[in-house]
Amino acid sequence: MKEKIQKIIENLAAPDVSFADVRITFTDYESIFFMNANLRDYSSSKGSPAIGIRVLIDGCFGFAGSKDLSDASIQRLIFRARANAIHGAKFQKEKLTFPELPAVSGEYEYKPEIDPFAMPKAEKLDYLQRLATAIKPAGKIVHSYAAGQFERQEKYYANSEGSFNHMIVTNTLPMMMVVASDGKQTQSRTWPGHMSAGRAGFELFHQQRFEENTERIIQEATDLLSADVITEEKADIIIGAGHLALQLHESVGHATEADRIFGQEISYAGKTFVKPSMLGKFKYGSDILNIYSDSTDPRGLGYHLMDDEGVPGRRVDIIKKGILMDQQSSRHIAHKLGLQPSSNMKASFADDFPLVRMTNLCIAPGKGSLEQLIASTQRGYFLDFTKTWSIDDNRNNFQFTTEIGYKIHDGKITGIVKEPTYFGITPEFWNACDAICGEEEWAYHSTFHCGKGEPGQVMRLSHGVAPARFRDINVSVKM
Amino acid sequence: MNEQLKYLQSALQKNPELKYTLVLNLWQTDFLRFYQSQTNYNISKDSSSLNATLYKGKKSCSFNIDHPDHPKIDAALAAALEMIDAMPEDPDFVDIEDDLTLAEPRQIVNNIEAFSLDKKTRFLNDLATRAAQYDFELYGTFICNYQRYHLLNSNGLDKTSTLSPIYLEVKAVHKDSQVTVLQTFGADDFKHFDEAAFGESLLRKIVLGQNPVVDVQPGEYEVILAPRCVAEFAQYLSFGMRAQAVDSHNSFFEGKVDQKLFPAMFSLTDDPADPRMIRMDYGDQGHIYRPLKLIEGGYFRAFMCGQYFHHKLGLPKNGNLGVCLKVDCGAAKLPDMIASVKKGLYISSLHYMNFINARETSLTGLTRDGTFLIEDGKITKVVNNLRFTERISRIFENLIELEDTAQTIPFSGNYAEFSVSSAKAPHARVKGFNISSSTRTI
Repeated sequence: MKEKIQKIIENLAAPDVSFADVRITFTDYESIFFMNANLRDYSSSKGSPAIGIRVLIDGCFGFAGSKDLSDASIQRLIFRARANAIHGAKFQKEKLTFPELPAVSGEYEYKPEIDPFAMPKAEKLDYLQRLATAIKPAGKIVHSYAAGQFERQEKYYANSEGSFNHMIVTNTLPMMMVVASDGKQTQSRTWPGHMSAGRAGFELFHQQRFEENTERIIQEATDLLSADVITEEKADIIIGAGHLALQLHESVGHATEADRIFGQEISYAGKTFVKPSMLGKFKYGSDILNIYSDSTDPRGLGYHLMDDEGVPGRRVDIIKKGILMDQQSSRHIAHKLGLQPSSNMKASFADDFPLVRMTNLCIAPGKGSLEQLIASTQRGYFLDFTKTWSIDDNRNNFQFTTEIGYKIHDGKITGIVKEPTYFGITPEFWNACDAICGEEEWAYHSTFHCGKGEPGQVMRLSHGVAPARFRDINVSVKM
Repeated sequence: MNEQLKYLQSALQKNPELKYTLVLNLWQTDFLRFYQSQTNYNISKDSSSLNATLYKGKKSCSFNIDHPDHPKIDAALAAALEMIDAMPEDPDFVDIEDDLTLAEPRQIVNNIEAFSLDKKTRFLNDLATRAAQYDFELYGTFICNYQRYHLLNSNGLDKTSTLSPIYLEVKAVHKDSQVTVLQTFGADDFKHFDEAAFGESLLRKIVLGQNPVVDVQPGEYEVILAPRCVAEFAQYLSFGMRAQAVDSHNSFFEGKVDQKLFPAMFSLTDDPADPRMIRMDYGDQGHIYRPLKLIEGGYFRAFMCGQYFHHKLGLPKNGNLGVCLKVDCGAAKLPDMIASVKKGLYISSLHYMNFINARETSLTGLTRDGTFLIEDGKITKVVNNLRFTERISRIFENLIELEDTAQTIPFSGNYAEFSVSSAKAPHARVKGFNISSSTRTI
């Protein structure tokens, strides 16, 4: 395949082509879904091929992608990519340009402890069926599911600067949920929340202690039916790591994607309140807040040797001591902003156009355990397990609801509340952060489902976080 | 019939104990994306895939093959046959689709070829020049898809369909204030595309976007919801009209068939036959897709239900998907609707809605692409985007009046697989719409 992709690069060489790159992916996928303890869906695909060819001609990118890797298809894609660039340049004011990078090459293969594609299928099904049976409808539980998705992707990348990359990774997404009803209302609980994916094989189910938590989610979903709602206007909240990963994702991650500054995502995903003039000055959060993008950490789904336009993996400080320092960027936008490209251009599959994407976006750990943080909180709520999320198209005004909130009184958990909802304005919220737990609580929380771009792509990515506390947050939403 | 589909069907016929559903999907798109009145990127993309679900009694498994060929089909089928006996049963499964009704044949033009890339860039260049006179720049997408699929199953179902949706979304954004207004076009035929009218409508909105920008306080407002908002609220409301929602105890409509839930002016139909919509021939299991009254004169009438949940829940089967929703028009004229608002809001578009509690239809979301203040019956100012937290059922309960004409609104399915669908709705005047916070940004 290396020879094939390099031959395509050679065939793309032409006097009018200032840059070109080619990606080829082969993807294995398997999904197992038990609903109410019955197998509702088992689906798989093996070695799904995809190829994408991108050329820069006359300052405009053209792209063509397909599932067909035949020589005839590749000739057609080269023709289409060139035509798209040439025609696109007719509706352009500013020619797209960026500096050359030195050629680099690399190979990487991640090997999971328990390869989900090599382990016996019966073993996988048995495990999930046992899990599904443990949470099947009974008592107040009226609906449940237990599921796993497994993905293995092999990717080849080459560009006209001579860079080459070959990478094989395996990711797993385990999940389970119960719905409780008292006939008037329903309440739900998931485990371990919505950021449950990982760079791992089947061992992720064991690492995330699924079997140990079936009783807990059944009990909590049932208890939520008779739980109070938050009545205060404002409260101190501690956000659990799984939900904080999503808070980070929505209000810092997407907000610091530099393509949004220039409106490249307006038509679907939106823009950002961040402006180039804020870099190095803007007080995004409190002094204890340090946020970085790190595509060099192999524990996260965002790890790579180089991104999908040949920029080697990097760790970049996005927010340092609360100040906005940098952006997640492409080569073109980094050049426009006078920055170094951050190695954040990614596409879900080879036949997708690369976009500025989060890789491993992390909050640096602070100090202390979650237990100590709760103990140091006089009154407030510990919120975790995302239920609803929403943020405006400037990534400024957000509102989140979690499945459950745990009341804190005099440093102790004293009860639960249902559907706790908080809202805020991004910089005000992050400036209200006064404590972040330490290394012992810090972990990656990952998703398969970050949507962006048109045609739409869903990206696999990770957030490294530890629970954190935010003071005096709006928790009263009138309806 | 496609050769690969035929090959797989032949192989399956050697296993008479199996039932099966096969779908061959050939898809292509041409996708022009623009920002700051210039091309962002320009994409051509195609795919072919063969999806199979095999059933042995109450056991089943599925596989998908991208760019299928004989060796891939042989390997996938062998793996499926080897594993199907080990699959746990689904006691709720009874049978695969058995509706053999064929849709009326339609002539579908490949719209990728009907409106060339040159023509697209020329149209956008002209529009950009006109918008620039007001210091607005254009952002958006111009998409044409072409899709052919062939669905067959062991119950004798054998159906093909072709779709070629058009999706044009143009956002005009002021260079300094960032005030944004939106104009869209969606259809499956370019004969409905009036370039001049599209441009004129966008420019009228641009003129409104030059008003001063203000914030408004949270609270309840009388609002004029643009057709896009009405359509999107109807889509969210329709989640509870799906049999799956009943099955998962998340339906607002459970146990409410033939109950009056909304004002008599509110009627909602899933209408795949309307020629001004992006039409559909079949549901995803191949059931004929026909108009279905969901809300009629305020009464809830029917759940959308396919084969599986028909057997499991005993609901009538119709194969509807809710991707062609149409809200009936009322009798009001838009200028009169605006004129009747003493102090309120005109909301053009919605953003990032998500249910808080689907069974209660409670959700939160934001306004986008043009929110305006109405004072003494006139649009006077642009308002920063606003957050609302509402029950959709309450929004439709609070309808005051509906416009006498409807617009087709295209929606792109951008989250997972890329698809284009449409809905149709008129403007609506609604009382007591709950604005829960201000974003402080346009």
